[in-house]
Amino acid sequence: MTTIVHKSEVDLLIRTFRMMSRMNRARPEMRSSETLYYQMLAEYYSRIRNAREEGKLLAAHTVFFPTEMLYAMDIVPMHTEMTTWLTALFLREQAELLAKGAELGLAPEICSPHRGVAGIFGLNTIPHPDVILWSNLICDNTAKSGELMMELSRSPGFFLDNPFQNSPGEMRYLVDELKDMVHFLEEKSGKKMDWDKLAEMVVRDKQEIELYREISELRKAVPSPMSISGYLELLSADYMFPGQPEAIQYLTQLRDELKMMVKQGKGAVSSERFRLMTLFVPPMHLMSSLGRIFEEHGAVSVTEPLFTCWSEGELDPSRPLESVAMKSFLIPERRSMYGPLSEQALQDIIDSAQQYKIDGAIYWAFLGCRHTCATVKVIKEVLSEIDVPMLTIDCDIVDPTVNSEEEIRDKLTQFTEMLEEDR
Amino acid sequence: MGYLDMGYLDIIGLKVPTPDHFRAVNHAFPKTKEILELKRQGKMIFGWLCTYVPEEVVHAAGILPVRITGYSQEMELEDGNAYLYINNCSFSRSCLQMGLRGEYDYLDGIVAGSTCDGARRLFDLWVHYIKAPFHHILSVPRKYTERAHGLYYEQVTMFKQHLEQYLNIKITDEALLQSIEVYNESRALLKELYELRKLDKPPITGTDTMEVLNASFRMPKELFNHHLRQLLAELAISGRAYPSRARLMVTGSVMNNPQFIQSIEELGGLVVTDELCTSTRYWSDPVVLDGRSPLEAISRRYLSNFPCARMVPSDERFDRILQLAREYRVDGVISQIIRYCVPYAHDLPVITEKLKRANIPTLALDVEYGTSGSGQIRTRVQAFLEMLETRKR
Amino acid sequence: MKTLGIDIGSLNIKAVVLGDDGILGTTIVPPGDEIEAGAHKAIEAALVEAGLSHNSLPVAATGTGAKFIPFIPQQKAITTCLARGIHYLFPSARMVIDMGAESTTVLKVNERGRIADWVNHDKCASGTGLFLQQMAKLMGITLEEMSSLSLQAHARADITNTCAVFAESEVISHVHRDPPTPKEDIVAGIYASIVSRTISLCKRVGITKDVAVTGGVALNDGLVNIMEQELGFKVLKPKSPQMVAALGAAIIAKETAEKGPK
Repeated sequence: MTTIVHKSEVDLLIRTFRMMSRMNRARPEMRSSETLYYQMLAEYYSRIRNAREEGKLLAAHTVFFPTEMLYAMDIVPMHTEMTTWLTALFLREQAELLAKGAELGLAPEICSPHRGVAGIFGLNTIPHPDVILWSNLICDNTAKSGELMMELSRSPGFFLDNPFQNSPGEMRYLVDELKDMVHFLEEKSGKKMDWDKLAEMVVRDKQEIELYREISELRKAVPSPMSISGYLELLSADYMFPGQPEAIQYLTQLRDELKMMVKQGKGAVSSERFRLMTLFVPPMHLMSSLGRIFEEHGAVSVTEPLFTCWSEGELDPSRPLESVAMKSFLIPERRSMYGPLSEQALQDIIDSAQQYKIDGAIYWAFLGCRHTCATVKVIKEVLSEIDVPMLTIDCDIVDPTVNSEEEIRDKLTQFTEMLEEDR
Repeated sequence: MGYLDMGYLDIIGLKVPTPDHFRAVNHAFPKTKEILELKRQGKMIFGWLCTYVPEEVVHAAGILPVRITGYSQEMELEDGNAYLYINNCSFSRSCLQMGLRGEYDYLDGIVAGSTCDGARRLFDLWVHYIKAPFHHILSVPRKYTERAHGLYYEQVTMFKQHLEQYLNIKITDEALLQSIEVYNESRALLKELYELRKLDKPPITGTDTMEVLNASFRMPKELFNHHLRQLLAELAISGRAYPSRARLMVTGSVMNNPQFIQSIEELGGLVVTDELCTSTRYWSDPVVLDGRSPLEAISRRYLSNFPCARMVPSDERFDRILQLAREYRVDGVISQIIRYCVPYAHDLPVITEKLKRANIPTLALDVEYGTSGSGQIRTRVQAFLEMLETRKR
Repeated sequence: MKTLGIDIGSLNIKAVVLGDDGILGTTIVPPGDEIEAGAHKAIEAALVEAGLSHNSLPVAATGTGAKFIPFIPQQKAITTCLARGIHYLFPSARMVIDMGAESTTVLKVNERGRIADWVNHDKCASGTGLFLQQMAKLMGITLEEMSSLSLQAHARADITNTCAVFAESEVISHVHRDPPTPKEDIVAGIYASIVSRTISLCKRVGITKDVAVTGGVALNDGLVNIMEQELGFKVLKPKSPQMVAALGAAIIAKETAEKGPK
């Protein structure tokens, strides 16, 4: 197995992000949070690129992984799904990644980000990870992807078994799993866990969750201040820099901007006519087109209950490990995608539909995400009980051949016409 | 508490104990004469969804556990598609559709494990739309560590307590021991049946074996054991011996359609073993007390049993597949994976490679649950058998 | 008042002239190479049929190709138009199954002819007009022959695969079986599989009576027959099921004209 580090893709990503950040800075109409966002991305991939030279362990990990643990051990995290999305989004290399995934024998029913993950490993276009970390949060795909990544990279790995429900025993189990992971990483990196540092990160985690909640609150304003194209950015902060100063800085900036807009009565779109709820995630490659399409229709996404609404619960910095475990039960996605479909989760969706005064909802039915799609009908039914229509769009979040900008525009036209007629 | 003591056999009448009896049960399922009769007598019936649900606990509570399966044919799943969307596996859609259409309306409860995405959501929607009076889902760890055993034991204990509370009874150690005895006997008898399949010319086909296994989770175990004992006695003196072009193992997603096996066997291949959760993975390991409490022994058995592809590391499953292949001297493996069955689809490239290194070719089939193996599949199996024959020469 | 509605589909352009007492003229023309020219042709023919000489009528356009005819500024989504059109023809209709060339759409309509919900299959070719054409070609018969053949079927051949590509191979294997499956049974099997998939779509939004069928595929009596068997009740079928969206567009043109300039 070759250990040559192919830097080209990562270099290309870093260069792209730096360029985006500079371009944004040069344009006064752009929000500074967006500049920060690209700086954040550039910083993230610079660390990945430099990990080896700086003698740091590089750890590839699946989505919703408690990366605070890695940061506290001075280990460089590399989010595999996020890296696939970004490579797809900014370097337009989806086709190669997916083709490589297929060549490795992965069936088309395996979700495209995970076929892409196998692709980035198979093509060896990312720096070689020293360890592979994965967990069953959030689906069978994440649970199964680790062994293949280990096989492809010939790197050792650790599987974090994240229990299904939130009972005291399961919480203890997760805490013990995290301890095992610390032992594993200490052995591989030769560095000790810095518990004080982890405690600091939990303090910032609390701040971060609070910022997410404030941002959600601000979006209740009429007109609502955040554009759909900022959705992925919003998620990225916690995906890449959980409990890190970068995330706090970005989220604070974003909150302040939104606060200002609300104060000035400014909305994300020039004339707000339809307040929409977004369920799941739109195709990544259409994010910027969506901004345009929403503007054309006077539509604004005001809430994403499956992705941006954190569960109730407080973290305790005096118990950092327990807090990291606890956080994995608070993340919004767990409720919708991983945990049991409770009547409470459905009630939460009804409540937010009312609190955010939504006119309609769009469910992005990503065909690779089986357990989420299983909730399409249930959610449609509970929304229809409060007279909120829901549009379902079959999509793929990575593969650009599935949805086109035209198709999405047509569907939004139909949907908004329908909402209009209802008035 | 045994059915035999209740004069149960007198009620339904003793049928000829050949696969014919089992076939009749399977044909009528879910609404078999036996189940409906027990229901009429006031016995509770629970449905379970996955091999990580400890059946003995249900049994010890005086409830008849039956396994929820889908239609025994590949068909349009209108309701399944509408409720579970088109991208959940056809097993979960098929089961849900049967439930929505009232085929399981006699169930007093449903029990599942958090085993895979499809099973979890099938349980969720069953609870939401079909609403059995009692429902419970166990969190099932994905590891085999002592800690995982600890967590799973706690989950099994919580399940037992939930049942006790619901029924207002006490599930005693004696009752659990008695259930273990019944279930272990069933496992031992099935092992005996499988031993016969190791012969050069087994006295039973894979098709008939599947009929036996299907019946095993669709009727009272005591009664099943009784019939299986008779079948084994009959097989011993039958003088039947099936020759074959190739000895095969079937692996992959949940599958319980004897017609699929039959279509392979009609072409001259003989299915001598399998790695299916409806067959080998269902019966393979007994509950071993080994100084443990009955509940702990049950819990240990269910987590360490021949694993599903959901478990980590997968090597445990791969090793046991390779071991089966050796023990049953298989010439080839037929892997059948249901579309959207992610755990098995992920493992396919790796296990295919491992089998290849052991000089065993694999035929990989993409199927839908309930497939009878006609058309294209038949053509591919035919070609596979020819290839295996050429290798033997 | 007289108004005009035009529906630019992928296989045909449909135009309807609507008067106060009913439909005055209809036409269907293939779009040809130039959609704009095709649209003009369709409009002229419809006007001629309605006995009108020149075009100064209020007009609205719909259909997948409507965006290519900028000379008609008022454009409405096909779903909105289908809801209006069906309400005009059958006020009791609460659900429309529109089976067109490229996709199947199911919509719910309220008592005012307003669309209340819709869902469509657009990532899947099976069950569409183009799929049926393909199947007819495969069996060497016309669409009309297909429809009448199915009415003579004694059984339905098993076509279980939900993917158009695989369904095709299933049909081929029925044709080449020894003895071959009777053609009428194969057609009935194809129809049954399309119907089943369509009903599955209906169930996603919930079936509500009365149900009407529209779109070119609804011209197949055999298919509609099987649909009624599977649904367990009769469906409403317009005389010209493929004209409903164009009719709806004409109604919308009328509503707008009556409201007057904004």
